[in-house]
Amino acid sequence: MSSKTPSVPKWVVDLQHPPTLKSKAGSIPDPPGYPSQSTALSKKQASKEPKTQPRKQPTPEEMDTLKLKKAWEVALAPVKNLPMTAIMMYMSGNSLQIFSIMMVFMAFKNPIMGIIGTNQAFERFESESNKTKLIQAKLAYVAMQIVALAVGIWKVNAMGLLPTTRSDWLAWEAQREPLDHAIPAF
Amino acid sequence: MHFPTQTLSIAVLLALPAAVRAVFKDEVGHIDYHHELLGVPQSETTFFHRPRPQEKASLLYTLSDLGVLGAVNPGNGAIVWRHLLNGNITEGGGHLRAGEDETWLASALGSSVHTWDAITGRNVWTLDFDGAVKDLEIMEMTEDNHKDVLALHEEDGTTVARRIHGTEGRVVWEYREVNNDIPLQVSTNLEKVFVVTLHGSLLSYTLKVIVLDTPTGRKLDEIIIGTKGEVQKPEDVMFVGANSAAPVVAWTDNTLTKLKVNVLGSKNRQEFPLVDGTVGVEIHAPHTIPSSPHFLVHTRTNKASKADIYHVDLKSNAITKAYDLPLLEGRSAFSTSSSGSNVYFTRVTADEVIVTSSVSHGILGRWALKSGTETPIAVHGVSEVIKKAEDNYAVRSAIVTDADDWTQIVNGDVAWTRPEGLSGAVAATWAEIPESEDLARTLEAEAHTDPWSAFVHRVTRHIDELQYLPAYLLAVPDRLMASILGSETPASSDTLSRDSFGFNKLVVLATKRGKLYGLDAGNQGRIVWSKPANETPGAKPWDVVAIYADDAKGIVTVRGADGEFIIVKSDTGKTVESLPSGLFPPVESAVVVDSDAGPWLLPIGKGGKVAEMQGPWAPKQTVVTRTEDGGIRGVKFESKGEQAVEIPTWTFNPPAGQKIVEVASRSKHDPIASIGRVLGDRTVKYKYLNPNTLVVAATDEQANALSVYLLDTVSGQILTSSTYEGVDPGKDVACAMAENWFLCSFFGQYELQDSPSQHLKGYQVVVSDLYESDSANDRGPLGDAANFSSLDPVDRPTAGPYLPSVASKTFVLSGPVTCLTVTQTRQGIASRQLLAYMPAAHGIVGIPRLVLEPRRPVGRDPSPAEMEEGLSRYAPAVELDPRMHVTHRRDVLGVREVMASPAVLESTSLVFAYGVDVFGTRVAPSLAFDILGKGFNKLALVGTVLALVGGVGVLRPMVRKKQIDARWKA
Repeated sequence: MSSKTPSVPKWVVDLQHPPTLKSKAGSIPDPPGYPSQSTALSKKQASKEPKTQPRKQPTPEEMDTLKLKKAWEVALAPVKNLPMTAIMMYMSGNSLQIFSIMMVFMAFKNPIMGIIGTNQAFERFESESNKTKLIQAKLAYVAMQIVALAVGIWKVNAMGLLPTTRSDWLAWEAQREPLDHAIPAF
Repeated sequence: MHFPTQTLSIAVLLALPAAVRAVFKDEVGHIDYHHELLGVPQSETTFFHRPRPQEKASLLYTLSDLGVLGAVNPGNGAIVWRHLLNGNITEGGGHLRAGEDETWLASALGSSVHTWDAITGRNVWTLDFDGAVKDLEIMEMTEDNHKDVLALHEEDGTTVARRIHGTEGRVVWEYREVNNDIPLQVSTNLEKVFVVTLHGSLLSYTLKVIVLDTPTGRKLDEIIIGTKGEVQKPEDVMFVGANSAAPVVAWTDNTLTKLKVNVLGSKNRQEFPLVDGTVGVEIHAPHTIPSSPHFLVHTRTNKASKADIYHVDLKSNAITKAYDLPLLEGRSAFSTSSSGSNVYFTRVTADEVIVTSSVSHGILGRWALKSGTETPIAVHGVSEVIKKAEDNYAVRSAIVTDADDWTQIVNGDVAWTRPEGLSGAVAATWAEIPESEDLARTLEAEAHTDPWSAFVHRVTRHIDELQYLPAYLLAVPDRLMASILGSETPASSDTLSRDSFGFNKLVVLATKRGKLYGLDAGNQGRIVWSKPANETPGAKPWDVVAIYADDAKGIVTVRGADGEFIIVKSDTGKTVESLPSGLFPPVESAVVVDSDAGPWLLPIGKGGKVAEMQGPWAPKQTVVTRTEDGGIRGVKFESKGEQAVEIPTWTFNPPAGQKIVEVASRSKHDPIASIGRVLGDRTVKYKYLNPNTLVVAATDEQANALSVYLLDTVSGQILTSSTYEGVDPGKDVACAMAENWFLCSFFGQYELQDSPSQHLKGYQVVVSDLYESDSANDRGPLGDAANFSSLDPVDRPTAGPYLPSVASKTFVLSGPVTCLTVTQTRQGIASRQLLAYMPAAHGIVGIPRLVLEPRRPVGRDPSPAEMEEGLSRYAPAVELDPRMHVTHRRDVLGVREVMASPAVLESTSLVFAYGVDVFGTRVAPSLAFDILGKGFNKLALVGTVLALVGGVGVLRPMVRKKQIDARWKA
């Protein structure tokens, strides 16, 4: 032992043979790829592995339909949030408060940013083969964003911020000037 | 989704008290000023009197030439109490007497007799009689231990003398005689009452003394003094003594050469010659019974004055001259004062005060008059002499000076001065403080050159001004400190300068006594200058028909009814031009008109007659005047060759039986911020904005009805009219007009519709809004036309005149209101307030326009949309509670007019009221949204910021250290 110690420092030994970590609690599994577990599991699973079928790699067609499905999910996502947004907007009232102002800001920002980022949103699902099919999903996505935008506009209108009434243009109407003048002298 | 109704209504309710509170406590005395005035005291009705016999202190009582009865503390000149006797300003006259050792005063004005508690000013009793009061005396000694009042009335040729119980106010006896005499005065001694009348016809009267029995009022005797034609007019009788201290009647002949004196109760008269060139004689005698019967005759010539002292021998009824006071240059004011049987005469001349005893001509006291810059010239006065030691006297005299000031002189020193001349103002105008003439000239020069050279000129001017920069920068720290510490008093300087808020303005005031005053409205109403309006005294009272300030030139023009006018500089009062009365035909009114030769003040003669004028001076506008038969007409002018020709365009005569009592039009400065009213549902109701409109109120005496017409002053068409029944035509009708609404206030009585036996009585105000169309979002028949002419629809036979849609509501006010005015702001954005004087409450009230709103819903609560407009449920009664008073607790007496003027700040309107008193303030109808109030604590703000900066400075190193330590420890 004594002769061995000087030849190899302890840290080299530790590095080469890391000590098995004591699991703090038995119920918490170690994350995958963690050395202690992998060694432990590999031993256990080595026997089970031959039983499980190796996962079949999907064919490119299947992959396309899968991607398309995912793309449609993304496309319809904005409309799913809509009922909640609408309820929150209804609840927040029409007065100008920090909450309703932020809500309105988000109601405009999200759809517009979404429309601008349409291509990025569908980039993951795009392939040579499904390009044409993806266009429908993109259009639907844009349509949904516009619906979300419409909710925002409805809100702004409800808050009375849209110049849709006569009173909003009153300041631009000129006073009628009289052509004759009279002066009372009493 | 709108605001929840309840929350909003609670919010509105909570905001209401703040909105109606007219004045904040810390603004009192800072934004408002008040000259508490009495009017100029009259010599016969002013005296010192001890209100409580057991106390030595006396008060100064006066019944002024405006009919204000008041008591003044002689110590500091402050008013103790005062009353406007007849409810409105009268033209002098009246009687005021105080009985020695009595706690009350008796006064008589018009036809009524009052007594007042001398200390509190409370009314003890009031009696109203027929006819006019000619004299009032206190009967000094009666059977029981109190004093009675003797009143002499004239009722259409009947002389009525009454003895009234002093404390109970009942008539003890009444003596009536139908004799067509002119009752002059009444006098009394221990046993008898003397009624002095003038018997005979005009220019040839004899003096008649009717002797009455004191306990019963029975006629004992009638004495005719002198021959027929002894007295020519009632004014020639100088003096009738009040009681046994002066039992004489004195009169002069018409040429003022002889003074004739008769001892009351005797038949003979004695004559005394007067000095040559005498223009006025006054007799001063003591009022108290124990005083020796000595009197002083003050003879005034044009340049000097002298006095003779006479003694009356009560036993032999002989009058002897005791001594005389020398003829001295200048005016002197003589006054008597008595203590016990001693009578003292005080003479106030231009440079000294002299006290003599009535017994001998030895001077008891003499004090040189130590006054400020200008020496007061005494016109008349009263005085009180106190014997301090055997040979030491003190005297205080309250004298009225020729500048209409009331000054008290104590042993030669001016103790206080009350500017009583400010009272009785008949016209006033706002005037801007003139900019320095150099700047005005430069700006004018720049305006008239071409843009490039104007620009170069301006740049060089600003470079020149850089020399003032160091001084300005040096002044910055001081100003900053003053601003923060709140010691930002406007340095009550004597110099006039404009301020950036536009609060510093001048008010030029013309009084009925023919004086002009310039007041600094931004500096507590300080009197900047004062001057008589004409060198030769004109007709009294002065009737001013127009006062007009030309701010571009810095001058003010005042026109009188007799054709006289005076043009003065608004900041110094220097006369620019003047014309004495009588050289120009009488003027009924005057108005500023535009002409090719520039704007000028067009005088309008009686019955709306306009004098001929030259072509270029022809007014461009239609001038609306009164007609001779009580109507209203419009006149246009066309220049034909050299002369301008007058073309009547329309005439409005009210229906038979109606008389025009009030006319109101929109003020010259009435900017419109918005041409429509936004309703709760965001629609717009367009306002009917026609500057050429006139509200005419006419009453019908027979039918007890009031008709209000809205006239178009260009075409003469009636735009709308309404008639109110059950109106008292004897009470004042007041109207006001602004923007697109007008209102009229009157006293009315209605029968309730559901129960005709019940009546609704009260002072009402009817508010009418004018809109272009009944429906919202509609600009009416003219649509979007850029301009309009009232004459167009009339010329076309198919279309009638373009009529506004009217919405009206009636409100019942909790008191009478007069002098209606609407606040004015610079751009008309701030909401408006109706300012009105409450003659019963002696205050000016500011009623928010939102309260007097014709669109308030009736019989139901307002809908949320209406609530958003600020409309509340219609309630007919409007309580003018003290929080609405812009005068808060000040007692503002006899206001004749309330004037409003815009400041530079949009939120604020300057208010000035005159009449007996002078009052000024600032009002913010929409609250002061553009200026920090006095309550804003700048010190706390700066202190907080400094504390925060200090805190950050201390904490920053600590936090840094902690953060670095934490890094190392980790």
